[in-house]
Amino acid sequence: MVIKWISQVVVLILVVVGLAFFAAQAGSNLRAKNIDTSWRFLSVNPGIQLGEGIDVNPETGARALWVGMVNTIRVSVVGLILATILGTIIGVARLSKNWIVNKLSTTYIEIIRNVPLLVQILFWAAVISNWPELTHGAGPIDGWLIITNKGIGLPRIFPSIGFYQWMVVVIVGAYVGRRVYNKRETEREETGRETHALVSGLGVVLAFAAVGLLIHPVFGFLGPVFTAIGDFVGGIPVFVVQLLLSAAMVAAAALWIKRFLDNLRTPAGLAKLTDDDIFRIVFAGFAALMGIVLVFIVWPGLSAWLIHSSRDFFHFLGDKFEWLRTGRPLDAERPAITQTGRFPNFSSSGLVITKAFGALLFGVVLYTAAFIAEIVRAGILAVPKGQTEAAGALGLSRGLALRKVVLPQAMRVILPPMGNQYLNLVKNTSLAIAVGFADLVQVGQTLYNQTGRTLEVVAIWMGFYLAMSLLISVIVNFFNVRLRIVER
Amino acid sequence: MDEKREQLDWVAAAEVEGEKPPEVPPHGPVVWARENLFSSVGSGILTVAGLIVALGFFKGMLGYIFGADRKWDAVATNLRLYFTQAYPEDQYVRVWVAVGVAMALAGLSAAIWRANGRITGYKLGGGSFGLAGGLLTLLLLSPFSWRARLIYLLVALVFIGIGQYLRSVRPKLEVPALGVIVGTLAVLVGSLWVVPYGKHTFVDGQVQPPRPGTVAMTTKLPWTVMLLVMIVAYFVGKAVRDKVSPGLAKGLLSAGWMLLLPIDYFVILRDPALDYGQVFRVDVPIFLAFAVAGSAILWWLSSPHRGEIGRVVAGAMVIGAGVFWLAAAFGLSVRQIVRIDLVMLAVVALAAPTFAGEKAIRRKFIIGWVVILALVNYLAMMVNTPSTVDVPGSFPLGGFSLTLLVASATLMMSFPIGLILALGRTSKMPIFRLLSTTYIEVIRGVPLITILIFFKIILNLFLPDGMVLGNEMAAILGYSLFSAAYLAENVRGGLQSIRKGQYEAAAALGMSTPQTTSFIVLPQALRAVVPPLVSGVIATFKETSLLFIIGLFDFLRIGYVVVGGQTAFVGSQRENLLFVAFIYWIITFSISRSSVQLEKKLGLGER
Repeated sequence: MVIKWISQVVVLILVVVGLAFFAAQAGSNLRAKNIDTSWRFLSVNPGIQLGEGIDVNPETGARALWVGMVNTIRVSVVGLILATILGTIIGVARLSKNWIVNKLSTTYIEIIRNVPLLVQILFWAAVISNWPELTHGAGPIDGWLIITNKGIGLPRIFPSIGFYQWMVVVIVGAYVGRRVYNKRETEREETGRETHALVSGLGVVLAFAAVGLLIHPVFGFLGPVFTAIGDFVGGIPVFVVQLLLSAAMVAAAALWIKRFLDNLRTPAGLAKLTDDDIFRIVFAGFAALMGIVLVFIVWPGLSAWLIHSSRDFFHFLGDKFEWLRTGRPLDAERPAITQTGRFPNFSSSGLVITKAFGALLFGVVLYTAAFIAEIVRAGILAVPKGQTEAAGALGLSRGLALRKVVLPQAMRVILPPMGNQYLNLVKNTSLAIAVGFADLVQVGQTLYNQTGRTLEVVAIWMGFYLAMSLLISVIVNFFNVRLRIVER
Repeated sequence: MDEKREQLDWVAAAEVEGEKPPEVPPHGPVVWARENLFSSVGSGILTVAGLIVALGFFKGMLGYIFGADRKWDAVATNLRLYFTQAYPEDQYVRVWVAVGVAMALAGLSAAIWRANGRITGYKLGGGSFGLAGGLLTLLLLSPFSWRARLIYLLVALVFIGIGQYLRSVRPKLEVPALGVIVGTLAVLVGSLWVVPYGKHTFVDGQVQPPRPGTVAMTTKLPWTVMLLVMIVAYFVGKAVRDKVSPGLAKGLLSAGWMLLLPIDYFVILRDPALDYGQVFRVDVPIFLAFAVAGSAILWWLSSPHRGEIGRVVAGAMVIGAGVFWLAAAFGLSVRQIVRIDLVMLAVVALAAPTFAGEKAIRRKFIIGWVVILALVNYLAMMVNTPSTVDVPGSFPLGGFSLTLLVASATLMMSFPIGLILALGRTSKMPIFRLLSTTYIEVIRGVPLITILIFFKIILNLFLPDGMVLGNEMAAILGYSLFSAAYLAENVRGGLQSIRKGQYEAAAALGMSTPQTTSFIVLPQALRAVVPPLVSGVIATFKETSLLFIIGLFDFLRIGYVVVGGQTAFVGSQRENLLFVAFIYWIITFSISRSSVQLEKKLGLGER
């Protein structure tokens, strides 16, 4: 027993000493090379131009990285949706009894899965480069669909002036629709009559959206309200936020310990705590303590930052509302080609999938879809055939049996590995660097080439991707818990 | 198998007794098509749509591959660049020796592990039909001349004939699978003697004066030798396998496979210039000292009566070795190999109680120590001796050989690290669990490319003065630490599948925790996770393409940047990428297929 603890402590000390040794070494090496670690590069103009994004000439390093993050998120979200749809179709096709459909999807999976993603992305970039030149009047359908070696132009729909005011009506509609849906569902379960819950719920939302098109200017009164909330939040002293954060951490730790002890409670009283349990409890308390130290001493800027960004958020909302401001909530525009300098180029209107974005998106979507297809197939196969037969015996139609019996059970098997694939997709977008898409990694590389702040940039990368991983696991876990078999 | 035979016997018996055999359901192409293609209206529509997609895909693909303006010359001319980059031509025999060692090991392994799989005539016939179908697709959909199509048609007909013969006349014929593989290889190698593939006019992007011979002409002799080496090794293995104990033979061969990479790279391909005076004055005495003293200590430690004092001594040795290692950072100048040997001795000493027992076991333990010590010292000596092979750039390998080197080194290094991490994460000791969990989750949460960039650019900042890690070595280290986290998660799955009863039974037998782990838990756990481990191998192999991004001359960079950038082959990027993708595909696809075979052999999912 004693030896176990001694060995653990020795290893812990070795790890800490080793890390400290490396850190000290890095410090002295950096000093020898006259490099100082500082985060100042985040607030000076890096003088770089980005390939695409919400701001191609960022004024500060932080802004450049933010543009990169937005690009990463953009390609990830589009990729997640497309890969899920394509992967599900292929996965179902692999189970088809039709020989040719079955073999086609198998071929797709076996080819795509066994070739490195990077090779595929580069291949798509090479393919796009060989599409027709970008000229005036280019594309299969001029002004609607433009396919050239610089990218693809599509019409786009986007939120316009009245969007936020309209959204308020839609959100209220969604709430009411949800209530209607729940009510009808309960009624159906009680009486057994078909009440068309889903249709009526969606109908309510649509009705609200339609009415909102007419009455949304009225909701402009929310503007001053948001501005006032913003002013109030901005006036909160930093100390109060620090206190609140600390209290939240202490409460979380206490709650965790309480639940942990509750789990150990048996009818005969509290089970004897092992060393391990004590360690966990101590560790939870220690983590909360470290959190408080972080908030008050290590990073006091965190609280100020929280205050500022919430204030800015509410002020942003306030600017979007104006009493009786009219305007279309949604607007649409077509892609166009303009002459900038000597060469024709896509104008800023319409949805333009650039070459780099397209190559990355095609590569990531097609690659991930192959893996998702296998997961979907395994999930459907995991539902015993007896379930379908039993549903049929109860008189459920095939569609209803699939929706109410097979899919809920398949989802239980599908969801955890699916979350892994989503994570992989987000991480794989970092290969953008090979085709020059301005994602976080590419922007970061440009930035450290300019400023020499490699360590800091790598730290930001890791922090961002860890946060994304955490976010995805939290979302997947949320659904996972809801789908889990409820046992006695 | 037996069951099937019994069934057949039963059918035969039924016939003899004059009873009707069970009715054969209707079969034939029309029935098959009705059941599998046109079972309903929807299915019929799907079939037509699928056919259109398939035809469009294959026609487009084949039309592209065999199009007149494709620059496949870019690949054919640069094959050497692709596989070994700029390895000097006058030293090229080293590459062949390195390959030959692997071939010999493969032949020996096939014999020792008794690769006696058999393929039935029925299956061979199916393969033959498949080949014929492929040829027919080719000749129908590719832009070939009519003469070429006729030749393809004839060959396809021959294959159809063979298939028909095997299927209808000799369906129960059994051919050894090895024979089929070697036969295919022999046909491939033989074709080199007949058809002069490839060109040699361009080398390294410069137009060189045409040299006699093509790729086929210069490689036909070496490849023939390789094939012969494999065959001879197989028969040698077959001759000796009954004379030595199977355990010993398998152990030696496994060790051979483990050593293949360092020996091939450090000894054969690098050709270190040994200074024999130095070797006999310094290296051999150090080895002898550690062998003798170490053996004595280990013999004493592994005595069954040693008890707790043995552990204490071993622990003290570990701490001593660690202190000695760290002392070097503060100016104590000792040879690196002495420090390495000390750490090794301490670690092996920790394992001593696990092997405590009869004299025979202890003797094996000591022999193991001396062998490992000898190998490590030999390799360390070779690694530290400068290379004599003169290559442009800092690294002797490039292209496919670099990809292979990084992949296999990563696999070898990540396995032990991943195992330790998995044990740590499932351990009952909280600090170990916390450390491993943090490591695994952090590494799994970030993309590989950020880790590779970290290791390439920043690692040298963290190293002590005077210690520099080459880009290739830094990349291997980064890959290993990355894969180890994923491997640990796979192994953890296996560890958690071990029932509690196994631990309790081991404890009842009086086994210590290390003994339980190494003799009871790990063998079962690893066996259970073979499929995910193989997927991990495939993933690692595919991930080596990321070497391209950190600027190393791996297979992908050679194809995309170097060959694609040659003035003679401007605009050949797609061809090069397709070739790279094809090679990657062949290898990963065969690994995944053989893993299915391995699963069957291990009987996974059957118990």
